[in-house]
Order: sequence, then C-alpha cells, then structure tokens
Amino acid sequence: MTLIKVLDPTAKRMDDNASPGPDAGALAGKRIGFRLDQIWRCWDWISENWAAKFEAAGAEVSYWRSTNRSGEEGEEQARSLEAWLKTVDIVISGLANCGSCTGWTIRDAVAAANAGVPTVAVATKNFEAFAHELAARGGRSGLRVHVLPYPLNELSREEVEPVAEAYFEGLLSVMGASLTEKEIAA
Amino acid sequence: MTIHKIKPSTRSNRVAKPLVSRDCGPAGCEVDWLTSGRVEVEDSIEAFTEASVELGWGDGLPLIPPTDARVRMFLSENDRYPDELIARMPDNSECTVEKIVINAVMAGAPPESLELIIAAIEAISEPDFELYGVNATTAPVFPGFIVNGPVRDALKIPYSYGCAGGVATRANAIGRAIRLIMRNVAGQVAGVTSQTTFGSPGRLASILMGEWEEKSPWAPLAERRAGVKGNAVTAFSTMGTMNVLDTTSTGAVAFLEMIGKSVSYAGANCYSPSMEYSEMTIGINPICAEIVAREVPNIEDVQEIIWKNAAASADWLQGLHRGQLESQGRVREDGKVYATPEPKDMVLFVCGGLGGLHALGLHSFGSSLSQTKAIAEAVPAAQAAE
Repeated sequence: MTLIKVLDPTAKRMDDNASPGPDAGALAGKRIGFRLDQIWRCWDWISENWAAKFEAAGAEVSYWRSTNRSGEEGEEQARSLEAWLKTVDIVISGLANCGSCTGWTIRDAVAAANAGVPTVAVATKNFEAFAHELAARGGRSGLRVHVLPYPLNELSREEVEPVAEAYFEGLLSVMGASLTEKEIAA
Repeated sequence: MTIHKIKPSTRSNRVAKPLVSRDCGPAGCEVDWLTSGRVEVEDSIEAFTEASVELGWGDGLPLIPPTDARVRMFLSENDRYPDELIARMPDNSECTVEKIVINAVMAGAPPESLELIIAAIEAISEPDFELYGVNATTAPVFPGFIVNGPVRDALKIPYSYGCAGGVATRANAIGRAIRLIMRNVAGQVAGVTSQTTFGSPGRLASILMGEWEEKSPWAPLAERRAGVKGNAVTAFSTMGTMNVLDTTSTGAVAFLEMIGKSVSYAGANCYSPSMEYSEMTIGINPICAEIVAREVPNIEDVQEIIWKNAAASADWLQGLHRGQLESQGRVREDGKVYATPEPKDMVLFVCGGLGGLHALGLHSFGSSLSQTKAIAEAVPAAQAAE
C-alpha cells in the first residue's frame, strides 16, 4: 500500500499553566467571593451554608452572579467580573453542573486564577472530568476543582444541607486553607 | 423588575493579521506556507477515514485525504494566505485559513466556497454568538447558516424544496467543512468538549440554506438584520428543526398565530431561566409569505403578530420554573411570559418548497445572538496577482 502525508486539521492552544495557584491560607480577615449562576438553586443553598461558616471564621463574604453573556449585558458582565475579582482574596466558582454552566464556571475561575486570586471551581461528580478538560483548554490545567455529588439540584433544600455540611472540609482542603484553632472551633 | 432587552455589544473577535511578506503570493510561492504537522497514512479514502477517526479528526463519514497538493490547489483558487488568522476560538486556538482549507478539503467542499466558510467562522466567533456556551452545553445545539445574495446560486445553496436538509448539493460538503472546523479547531466534540446529551444530525453537516429572496415579500434577511446587501451569511444557534404544520388556517393572522403558538412550549430554550433572553429563528414558506404579505406588508408587523402569540401564561408553567422566571422579571403585566423580549428578536426569513403548509422553527440556544457577515468575493490567486 502506498503511503501519503496528510496535513493535521486540528488546532489547540499550546500554552499551559499547570500550577493550582496560591493556597487560600488563613481565612480570618480574608474576603471570600462566591461566583453564583442563575440556574442552580442547590448552589445558592450550599454557598449560603459555606458563607456562614466562613463568616464565623472571621472572613467577609461577597457574591457575584453570572447572568447573560451576550450583547451589552454580556459586555457588562465581563466588566463587572473583572471589577469584582479586584475586591476578593479568594474565589469559589460554581456550579459546574451542566455543559455550558461548567464552561462558564471554569472560564470565570480561570479568569480569577489568572488574576492571581486563590481559586477553587466547584463541580458535581458527573462534570468533574469535563471541568478539568475545559480548565486545560483554558490554559490552567492545574485549576483546583472541588467535587460534589451528582445529581444535586434535583434534591430538596433539606437534602442539600447535609451535602453542604459534608463537603465543607473537603473544600477547605482543596482551596489550601490553613485554619487557626479559633477557626477550627468555629 | 424590567424586561432585559437584547442589545448587541460592541465587542468583536477581530484579530490582528500576521505581518509577513506577501511578495510571492499563495499560488506561486516557493516558501512552504503550510505549517501544519504531517501524518503518514495509507493512500486510500477508506484507510484515511479510519485513521481520521483514530486521530480524532473525523466524523465517521468518508473523508478526502488533505494532502499538500490538494490543499495547495484549493488555496490557489483563492486569494488568501494560509497563515491568515481568521478567528480565535473559545479555547484561544487559532483558526487560520490553512486550518479552514484542510478541513474543507477533507469534507469535499469546493474551493469557491472558501469565502463563505470564512464569513461563517467569523460570524460564530463573535462574542455575542457565545460559541463557548454553544460548544460546552448539554443541549443539542449547533450553528446554522442562512445565506443571502447571488452566491446562493453560485454555490447551489438550497432555499427551496428540502432546504433544511437532504438536497443533493455540494452545499452539504460546505456545511460539513464548517462542522469539521467546529470539531477540529473550535472544540465541539461530544463527550470531550461538548456535554450534549443527545446531539443532533445537524452536527454532521450543519444546516446551510439560503433565503428565497425572489419569493420573499420582504428585504433579504442580512439587509434587514445588519444592513448588508448582496452576499452575506447569517449564523444562528439552533437546537435543530421543529416543524409547524398548518392545514387549516386562512389569512395572515391565523397563519402567524399558528406559528407563534407552536414554537412556544414550556421546554423551549426561550423559556429557560438560565438566562433572561433569547432569539427565535423561523423560516416561513413562500406560499405562506405571499398570503401574509397581502394583509400584513411590513415585516415588523409580521414579527409582532408572531411574537404576541409566542407567549405562555405563567400559570401554565410548572411552579419552580415559574418562580425562576418571575424572579427574572419575565412575567409581564398580562400574566404571560414572552418567548423573546421584543418582536424584533423573532428572526424571520423565507425559504422552502412551494407545497407550503409548513413553517420551520429553529429554536436558539441560551442567549446566543445571531450574527451576519458579508461574504467577500472569491478571487483566484492567479487572477488577483494580475
């Protein structure tokens, strides 16, 4: 059989930052930002639960909600995200619980990590591999990803609360938080 | 709460073009302009098709091996340099003319379709098209394309019978070339970069159709939407085709009422609470268009009648769904949720066979906004050099 040479039709970005970025470190006095969306009520509930724990540990909490990404509103979203990232010391970005929402969760998390902010993206189990794939394609293969069980949004608030409790310690570990005795007690 | 209206942004994906010497031109240059890696395969379509699937390049259908000779021949029929950067894709990968041509060769697209493909890629890479979400989503969405101008006939883009799929024309190869670029450069691969739950037959060769301008009572879509006269392509995101059958209506208002009500259902993209707005694209058949225009000559009025009917009573929606839409301010004073913020967001065009009876619903994805681009005139490199 004769052999021929064919040209590769693919293109991918070549650069990568495999670093997970800086650890969150001590939490007291830090400004912790939650990136929310419009779809997942379970993520609102979990964020509220975790926010209360962070505040009890002496941190301040703020929220930024992703809405429309096209048109003038999309342009404004990009500006407001950039501005919000300047007001926080740590970012927790969620929720990667579908295709496009994993996309935007990771894209915004990569933006935070690239801004030098300690960042954790939060994904449900089914979208864990996808989150890592998109992070790598976004040039941050080392992005920290904390994984929650799946399915999640289909549960009631009473069912989601124990999940928030059970996965908080894992979040602290993934984000590289170092707790003081007072924080541990809180 | 106020309704979120759709206003295009000023953002653009225009990219700087590399500044290299163009003295010799793409046709007669001795320099190796083609920078893509080469892979050795057996010289047969069967072997290459099999290899392409293993390499992650293909869609499973037969492919033409993109040899240097074929790629250079394709380029020589056009006045484009292979290193020209057309767009940056969602993962920041570079979509160059070279990558476009390699994929076009593989799909069997004719060289004279290059400018159309380039315009299509430029359109979907605009930030307002939101290709990042289109690629990643669990939805079956893919970019579809409506072509205006004389290029429709030159490239045999269907706009009559079977225009949304199934007509024997090389337009299918052009659509497939765009899909291969989506796969190989833009990053829409099911199970890898796309979480699409079901996918769509449109992810193989897209929907590439024309507007039947000669049968349309209204100005061409590209002119109405973007002020572009002549050859142009409008890219829109779509979940696939939805048929609207109407064998009973008489008169414009009845036809439009049937269309509006039919495209409006609880699980349609336009009622998703994941964003506050979306567009809706609808193809109206030439017979219906003629009947409608006799009574309702202005396209804006046609859009408004469809829009008024493309609404759902909030009470009809499931409780949690309604709650999310209410919190977004989308339940209006009349107790309804409208499919799009305003009548102008109903993207209408004329196409289809003369059998009439049907309308074509093309539900969009998320808040992805349709984009129109002029198609440059294809000039063979040799002719351009003269």
